[in-house]
Amino acid sequence: MNLEQLKQLKEKAQKQIALRESGKKYRVVVSMGTSGIAAGAREVMKTMLDELEKRGIESVEVAVTGEIGMVDAEPVVRVEEAGGEKTTYAKVNPEIARQIVVEHLEKGKKVESVAVGKAKEQE
Amino acid sequence: MFEELSLHILDIAMNALAANASRIEISVLESRKRDRLVLRVRDNGRGMDAATLEKVLNKRITSKTTRKKNIGLGLALLRQTAEMCDGHFQVRSAPGKGTSVTASMRLSHIDRPALGDLNSTILALSAANPKVDVRLHYKTDKEQFRFSSQELSLKGEARK
Repeated sequence: MNLEQLKQLKEKAQKQIALRESGKKYRVVVSMGTSGIAAGAREVMKTMLDELEKRGIESVEVAVTGEIGMVDAEPVVRVEEAGGEKTTYAKVNPEIARQIVVEHLEKGKKVESVAVGKAKEQE
Repeated sequence: MFEELSLHILDIAMNALAANASRIEISVLESRKRDRLVLRVRDNGRGMDAATLEKVLNKRITSKTTRKKNIGLGLALLRQTAEMCDGHFQVRSAPGKGTSVTASMRLSHIDRPALGDLNSTILALSAANPKVDVRLHYKTDKEQFRFSSQELSLKGEARK
């Protein structure tokens, strides 16, 4: 870590925060409890943020949650639509995360191959 | 088990969010001179009473993690890492006064995990919580930096 890296971090954080505020079409929740982190949730989150930024997608809010009781399925990403529909993705890796951004969040098509059955209301 | 200390930091900071903190201060103090690495995560969340703290600290490490029952697992993991690396682990907390978690390690200890991608940890925390002030204070023998996601200010200076 050096000052240059921190400057980049600052700029990046600024962009990311500006991008994630105000009315959104989708809300993405990354499970970031201990088991999620251990399974790679941070890298998944980072990939999604980077991909959203790269594609200039501003209609998505990204949030994190603690343990959701799906330890075996971590990293878990849940996509909630403004209309109320929820899709849960299990065992997400950076590659799948990118797919979720491109297919689901940009084009509005669920990534069926990694989506799991209707998740019960969690939280 | 986490391979990077920055993952431990993320995990502990998630506890702070769960405790409704509006400010999370992460300190990383790295001294080659003293051969010491100190991590601290301090929040202004709701804090814990003595009984909860006791329970959390005596938590056994288990792979059985069911929702609501695994609070404190992250602390236990960090404690294990600190103690494995000739360090100390301490949690201070009181209801309404927030929580402060400190872990120290011998910098040169062979088992000490690398700090890792601290930037990703800070980014994940600040992007997901635009209203929470995520702060980082990074200090070495030679220099120190301060970062705040709210002020988006950045201060760096050389140290004598």
